[in-house]
Amino acid sequence: MPSSNDSSSGSLAFVVFVSAFVARVLTMVQLPGWLFYFWPDWIAIVVAYWALVAPKRVGPFVGFIIGTLLEVLFVRKFGVMGFGLATLAFIVNSTNLQLRALFIWQQMVSIGLFIGFFKLLTSWLAGMVAGFTITTEYWYSLLGTVVIWPFAFILLEELRRAVRIR
Amino acid sequence: MVHAFRKNSGWPQYAAVLVISVAMMLADSRTSWLDRPRNVLSVMLSPIQWLASVPSTIGRYFTSTLTAEPDLQIAYDNLRNEYFKLKSESLLLRTLEKENQDLRALLTASDRLKEKITLAELMDVNLDRDNHRVSVGRGIRDGVYVGQAVIDDQGVIGQVTEVMPLSSIIVLITDPGHALPVQIERNGLRTVVHGTGSISLLRVLFLNQNSDILLGDVLTSSGMGGRFPNGYPVAVVTGVKVIEDEAFIRVTAEPIAKLDRSNHVLLLSRHTQTQGEKRVEQLMSGDN
Repeated sequence: MPSSNDSSSGSLAFVVFVSAFVARVLTMVQLPGWLFYFWPDWIAIVVAYWALVAPKRVGPFVGFIIGTLLEVLFVRKFGVMGFGLATLAFIVNSTNLQLRALFIWQQMVSIGLFIGFFKLLTSWLAGMVAGFTITTEYWYSLLGTVVIWPFAFILLEELRRAVRIR
Repeated sequence: MVHAFRKNSGWPQYAAVLVISVAMMLADSRTSWLDRPRNVLSVMLSPIQWLASVPSTIGRYFTSTLTAEPDLQIAYDNLRNEYFKLKSESLLLRTLEKENQDLRALLTASDRLKEKITLAELMDVNLDRDNHRVSVGRGIRDGVYVGQAVIDDQGVIGQVTEVMPLSSIIVLITDPGHALPVQIERNGLRTVVHGTGSISLLRVLFLNQNSDILLGDVLTSSGMGGRFPNGYPVAVVTGVKVIEDEAFIRVTAEPIAKLDRSNHVLLLSRHTQTQGEKRVEQLMSGDN
């Protein structure tokens, strides 16, 4: 993809923000108890997806902007989500060629590792600035994230094809 | 912002973003410089906020309008019975209060601070796993202040963390970052109860192996830390697990307040003047 023209980057920005918005709504869905802890980290999934398929344009900076906007919407301390999502985007960016070549289950494991690292990092930082305490249940969502990844990937691919972004 | 999508330069961009976010973290946790930008941004993003709350608003509309008449009749009867019961209890309460005051006067103890109560309606529920917050329709205009304790008709709900002109944001006691000083009603043992991120689970950390805590103990706010007035019920102990190798026992508790079900909450504010202060003020004004 050598040519990244302006009209395409405009629609890419739009689609990325729309999918981040949908992820944000999904995060807040009221859930039955058994599903509560396993509910995936939708926002991390969306950022990881876009960093994987459009590494030339969606990188740390985009992750940072999405994180900061989310911090405004969720009324959290500034900087934590931005830091975490930027790191996630950066890791996925720099391994995107390898990730694409993997089998789907291998991809699931790698994405699980990366998002796990993202969760570790953000919980440390949130612990420092906002007194967040890590519990065992905090990690359960990682399982949901890994399981949902292939389906989210297919859905987002459909979305990307519908708006013709390459 | 579209500009960000043109080119991703990798390392340099990442390094720059890291520096910016660390600076933001420091600034936001030590100073209040970022409060204005946050308010401006949140006003700009309020359409999105509204859009995101549409699904839950529609759900609530249907559950509130599609209620059968017999159900309403039952609810009405229950409320009426409750009303009469409470009314008769409050008659007794008044004499008890008088008696209590007299006893305190005999002991020359200080008067118990009286709290003023403001009723507030929930506007928006922002419950995600790591962040338990609700917003209510009372703000600076109604005299709400940061740190104010919030209860419902059963127990403690949380405290006010942010106040805007017409609304304010409340952090629930189940938020993973929230801790509340409590004591056990049965024996007065003081401890701290921590939120976990689950709406029905609290943890009591750092209790020794030989602490006297049992299943079903009621934890009430102890008034330590000066934020919550003492004596309001907080949680019931639901699990006590002793593991021999560990220094502390594992205690879990369940909140008493209906954290995810109440539509109205009460904001407690302290009367700033006690009887003594009032008297001093009267004397002062008498002098002048």
